[in-house]
Amino acid sequence: MKFAYLDAGSGSLIVQAVVAGTAGALVAVKLGWRRLTDRFRKRPSDQD
Amino acid sequence: MVVRDVRPEPASFRDPANRVFYSGGDVLRGLGAEAVEDWQALVASRFFPRSVADGTICATEPATDAPAGEWAEWALVLRHERIPFVSYPYEWAFAMLRDAALLHLDLLLAALAEGITTKDGSAYNLQWRGASPVFIDVGSFERARDGEPWAGYRQFCQTMLYPLMLQAHLDLGFQPFLRAQVDGIEPGQARRLFGGARRFKPGVLKHVHLHDAMQARYSANTTRAVRADLRAAGFSRELTLATVRAVRKLVDRLAWQPPATHWAGYQETCTYTADDRSRKVEFVGRALAAAGDLGLVFDLGANDGTYSRVAAGHARYVVALEADDAVVDRLYRQLRAEGEKRILPLVMDLANPSPGVGWRGRERPSLEGRGPADAALALAVVHHLAIGRNVPLPDVVDWLAAMGRQVVVEFVDPTDPMAQRLLANKPAGLFGDYRRDVFEKLLAERFTITSREELPSGTRVLYAGVPRA
Repeated sequence: MKFAYLDAGSGSLIVQAVVAGTAGALVAVKLGWRRLTDRFRKRPSDQD
Repeated sequence: MVVRDVRPEPASFRDPANRVFYSGGDVLRGLGAEAVEDWQALVASRFFPRSVADGTICATEPATDAPAGEWAEWALVLRHERIPFVSYPYEWAFAMLRDAALLHLDLLLAALAEGITTKDGSAYNLQWRGASPVFIDVGSFERARDGEPWAGYRQFCQTMLYPLMLQAHLDLGFQPFLRAQVDGIEPGQARRLFGGARRFKPGVLKHVHLHDAMQARYSANTTRAVRADLRAAGFSRELTLATVRAVRKLVDRLAWQPPATHWAGYQETCTYTADDRSRKVEFVGRALAAAGDLGLVFDLGANDGTYSRVAAGHARYVVALEADDAVVDRLYRQLRAEGEKRILPLVMDLANPSPGVGWRGRERPSLEGRGPADAALALAVVHHLAIGRNVPLPDVVDWLAAMGRQVVVEFVDPTDPMAQRLLANKPAGLFGDYRRDVFEKLLAERFTITSREELPSGTRVLYAGVPRA
């Protein structure tokens, strides 16, 4: 896996989902929801 | 090929995968192993050869004669077409930056359709062949990874979209911002400029306010983690395409015209009689025809480009430098419509020209660092510098010698209406040395004056000077 030389900016990557229109906005909502629920979900590694 | 004086391009250090060098008259690019695979994908694409053929990407081919030694560390060396004169976004007028931005997005869209992307989105990826933009950063193309947004979006916003929005939405020239900040205008800065009702101008809420809010909200998250999360949440190649299309649609909507009052004040400054004008055109043409083979000509204070056009009949390339960005914008649009490839109009205040910018002040050389030209035209400009900007006359002549090996220069007598207007705003007696005899003596110290002509109106004299033997 190679990585970009440029710092694309985390926020700059996410905002593009909204710029992309309805389908993208759904991805952004999904991303936000996952991040929210992740906080309450035990990580698999914690159970090992 | 014999390698002599290999010089790395000072601005080509950010992406370690490849680097640009100059060797003699060649522009070369060394590619690392990863970059070679991207290059192979690029040459196998349909859009790349098509874009090279129509001139929108600079001509590039493997330098098969590249030697070992200096080049051993690179897996492949490419040779690029040479751009006649390198310029920077803070020297471009609105319509130029807009056309450059549209070209960048169009090439990206064509690339994305074939599974290729650009790893950045900088205005510095573009240069000019006259009034036609050219994408020069061939090393920016790489194979796209599915499910990833465009890595160059932030850079595109900072160096192209926000500057265009500033001028289109607020009638504020972007050039000082881009000159001061080599990485462009940051979302946080743009957000402060677009407060209040201005946030409802096209594109501002999403690209400025939301963008800045997201940057603040996710500043603790790495881009690696965010990329993975976006992919998991279903971000697709179609969405990347939709993003770039939306940005293109927005840039296409951005337009700027100077206020009407701008031109009203402007017409008055053109005080020439038709007779003066035609004699001046003839003199400039004769002087340049006698100058022999001219590669580059600077037209200092180009105004509507009349004399740049005359110069283009005698030189391979003309750079028309003019301080008024509205005038440059109009000239550019005319030249673009004509398909002119040998006159490059640039925004430049001659009393405050582009300095060296970026790392150690060397990344983007100053105007003087990109000269001298083979010849410089300085028509109706000396009085603006000497009286309008208080530059001592000997310094003006020294500067002329630094800008052009040969010069065609106009001296406007203090009794001329234009000079009178400038003098009226300054204390009496301040410019005692601003006289024709003083100017001639100074000019003769630095050049051999080969011809001179007084214009019919009697207050303007033209001189042609060549280097002293």
